[in-house]
Amino acid sequence: MTTSLQSDYLQYLLSSWDIKPTESLSWLDRLRAEAIDQAGTQQLPTKKDEEWRFTDISPLARLPFQAATPKFDLQAKDIEHLKLKEADNRLVFVDGHFAPHLSIISGSLSHIVGNLPALTSRDTLLQSHLGKHVSIDHNVFAALNTAFLRDAAVIVFPKEFVLEQPVHLLFIATQSEVTSYPRSLIIGEPGSQATVIEDYVSLQPSAAYITNSVTEISLAEHARIQHVRVQRESNQAFHLANCAASLGHASHFQSTTVTLGAQISRYNMHIHIANEAAECDISGLSMISGRQLADTHTCIDHAKPHGISQQQHKCIVDDAAHAVFNGKIIVRPHAQRTNSSQSSRNLLLSKSAQVDTKPQLEIFADDVKCAHGATVGQLDAEEIFYLQSRGLSETEARNLLTFAFGAEIINRIPVPSLKQQLEQAVLKQTQSH
Amino acid sequence: MSAVLQSLVNQPYKHGFVTEIESDIAPKGLNEDIIRLISAKKNEPEWLLAFRLKAYQKWLTMTAPKWQNVHFPQIDFQDISYYSAPKPKTKLASMDEVDPELLRTFEKLGVPMHERAALAGVAVDVIFDSVSVATTYKQKLAEVGIIFCSISEAVHNHPELVQQYLGTVVPVGDNYFAALNSAVFTDGSFCFIPKGVKCPMDLSTYFRINTEGSGQFERTLIIAEEGASVSYLEGCTAPRFDTNQLHAAVVELVALDNADIKYSTVQNWYAGDEKGVGGIFNFVTKRGLAKGVNSRISWTQVETGSAITWKYPSCILRGDNSVGEFYSVAVTNNYQQADTGTKMIHLGKNTRSTIVSKGISAGHSNSSYRGLVRVAPTAENARNYSQCDSMLIGDQCGAHTFPYIQVQNSSATVEHEASTSKIGEDQLFYFSQRGIDAEEAVSMIINGFCKDVFQQLPMEFAVEATKLLSFKLEGSVG
Repeated sequence: MTTSLQSDYLQYLLSSWDIKPTESLSWLDRLRAEAIDQAGTQQLPTKKDEEWRFTDISPLARLPFQAATPKFDLQAKDIEHLKLKEADNRLVFVDGHFAPHLSIISGSLSHIVGNLPALTSRDTLLQSHLGKHVSIDHNVFAALNTAFLRDAAVIVFPKEFVLEQPVHLLFIATQSEVTSYPRSLIIGEPGSQATVIEDYVSLQPSAAYITNSVTEISLAEHARIQHVRVQRESNQAFHLANCAASLGHASHFQSTTVTLGAQISRYNMHIHIANEAAECDISGLSMISGRQLADTHTCIDHAKPHGISQQQHKCIVDDAAHAVFNGKIIVRPHAQRTNSSQSSRNLLLSKSAQVDTKPQLEIFADDVKCAHGATVGQLDAEEIFYLQSRGLSETEARNLLTFAFGAEIINRIPVPSLKQQLEQAVLKQTQSH
Repeated sequence: MSAVLQSLVNQPYKHGFVTEIESDIAPKGLNEDIIRLISAKKNEPEWLLAFRLKAYQKWLTMTAPKWQNVHFPQIDFQDISYYSAPKPKTKLASMDEVDPELLRTFEKLGVPMHERAALAGVAVDVIFDSVSVATTYKQKLAEVGIIFCSISEAVHNHPELVQQYLGTVVPVGDNYFAALNSAVFTDGSFCFIPKGVKCPMDLSTYFRINTEGSGQFERTLIIAEEGASVSYLEGCTAPRFDTNQLHAAVVELVALDNADIKYSTVQNWYAGDEKGVGGIFNFVTKRGLAKGVNSRISWTQVETGSAITWKYPSCILRGDNSVGEFYSVAVTNNYQQADTGTKMIHLGKNTRSTIVSKGISAGHSNSSYRGLVRVAPTAENARNYSQCDSMLIGDQCGAHTFPYIQVQNSSATVEHEASTSKIGEDQLFYFSQRGIDAEEAVSMIINGFCKDVFQQLPMEFAVEATKLLSFKLEGSVG
């Protein structure tokens, strides 16, 4: 593919841009205009870009899907099976557009849950966070998302506020051959505690569409946020996502990502340890089969001392699927006493399955403890033998071990009903043999 | 204590001097005529000139790579003289005929050839700048059928072997610097171990860069036939200059069925001064092809010198049951930069590889481990174990790890571990409590850290490496 073709592709995508959101905020227009300028100067990444060398997204350029227009045919009963009983706040976005009739907002005055254009009263706060955590240079997809920013899930947890029940952000794809641009902003003010679930689903199992999402998360001092991200898009979809989190002093960020869907998916997570003694605990599971490609790139940037980061990423790869993991840990000069560990474990279930993993350390401070490990392998023959000696068939033994491998990540999800849904999904996939 | 150690670390480079011997230098610049000149000067056959020209044409179409984690000013390839040789002389039969000035140089370097040859039983093929001056023990090796000579001699005396293997492991267009080397290489070593022969001694070459402004483009080719085995040592040292010197060597190893090649390097070239001025650019392509079944290729390297070290001694494990090993210690101090590691390409069944890499950074230096473990779909039951540890001394330096793991066969088992640590105050305290001063304690800790690699070195190299490391890092802690 030639460069000019790519630019044409971007030009085509951008051509629909001038439609303004109905309730326009001037600073938001500025943000969008800057993003469109940025997007215009960039190219679609190719395999020649180091960050994309294992993920070929050239098929994308053949699918110039325009931004989805709002279409709200969905009724509450259509999404019944997607609801989480624990969540009393649910924001539903259909093809990236806010669907108030499907959402429940029980937010009192104390905390804010809602759609961006409706939150004009908190303008200053939103202005200081939206687009400030995610970087749009050298990131054409984040730039495009910002350029097409209209609706956005916004959650603000005020100072010392503790929300027991999780907030459910449900992004539903209903149309084919469109691009949706979901956007989320989560702000934890000092001492607040909450759980947020980002859930990407499709109601048509084989619709082809593109999801380009951006999530920004900000934790002020002593805030604790548990973040769960589930990607179960259609098996023909493209899912391109960026998540950026900034961690304040002594804040605690826990994130669990489960990737099951999409033909090609790419998830970039950037965690900025922006202040001292912040802690993050990141885990991820990609379970893919068929000809799926799931690419996870994470970067944990220790910019300040005394930070702690733990990361565990697992891939279960079946058939001719291809999993990619790139986990970068940066320890900046003077970020002394950083303690960081990372593990990448990969299970190959079939002969043609493929894994590319790169746990990467970049360390510029001497008084640090950093370790990473990576393994690629198949199920242990002795473990299978042990279970067979206990009366399980070989298939049962394999399924059980595969399930257990994935369950270690799923068990970290703090929402029982979601955990159960995902356990079922993993079980179903392991038993498909 | 830090003041004492500070003075130790700032010891000037011991091997910094220039030997004044009349050199035969080609004009600066690179074009087809220069390549023809090199070829003509060396009286080369037509096929080798064709090989060089093909590489040059390839090089012209390539651009310098940008992915590396080392930074240097753009190299002006037209400002380098591509050929320099000591005045041509008739070949010498004994050491007595060697230019006394040259002998004194070796003496200063601590390579007393008679002694070394006699005591250690090492054959030293001495490369002075780009032309082989003297080769010892050739006779003894010839008795068992081993050919050990400079590559230019090999081109004349054994053209069929050189032609058969040259460029088969590192093709002319493999990478930017390999293409450059293929076009302009002047000399290097050639080693051929015939079927079933175990080389009776360690083979050794001392490289030395002389003549300010002349880049050095060495070419080494080692072939071990069926069942043969050889241990090859490469040691390096260069005099100090303030202009950076480019060194772009290519080393190719070929191991046939059941053959075993062990290649050890101690590299201590001039690293630039404490402000990062000067020093050698060491951009080397080293690759071994484990072509036959049960073959084994083992790389051991101790990298302490050069302003920039940028190399990945690699193994292509093509034969079934073949084994690849890589043991490395890379030490950087002051403003040195190192981006080094290995590539293990598993192609054959039951292939195994081991990677042990130790990086030590001090001062303002940066050291990176970059490794690739690739298991191709054909490599049933491939096995890899990688370990890369970094140690940081001081808070101005950096240590980086870029391990690429690519697995396309589900029967493979690949493990990678990495850690980063420092010399702790607790450790130093423990030593001082036992009456061991900080300087010695650091040396002991470092040597313990690097033990796994030093164990792989031949005896005399291990001693040299241990001393070298202590010397390099003295005073960095305190």
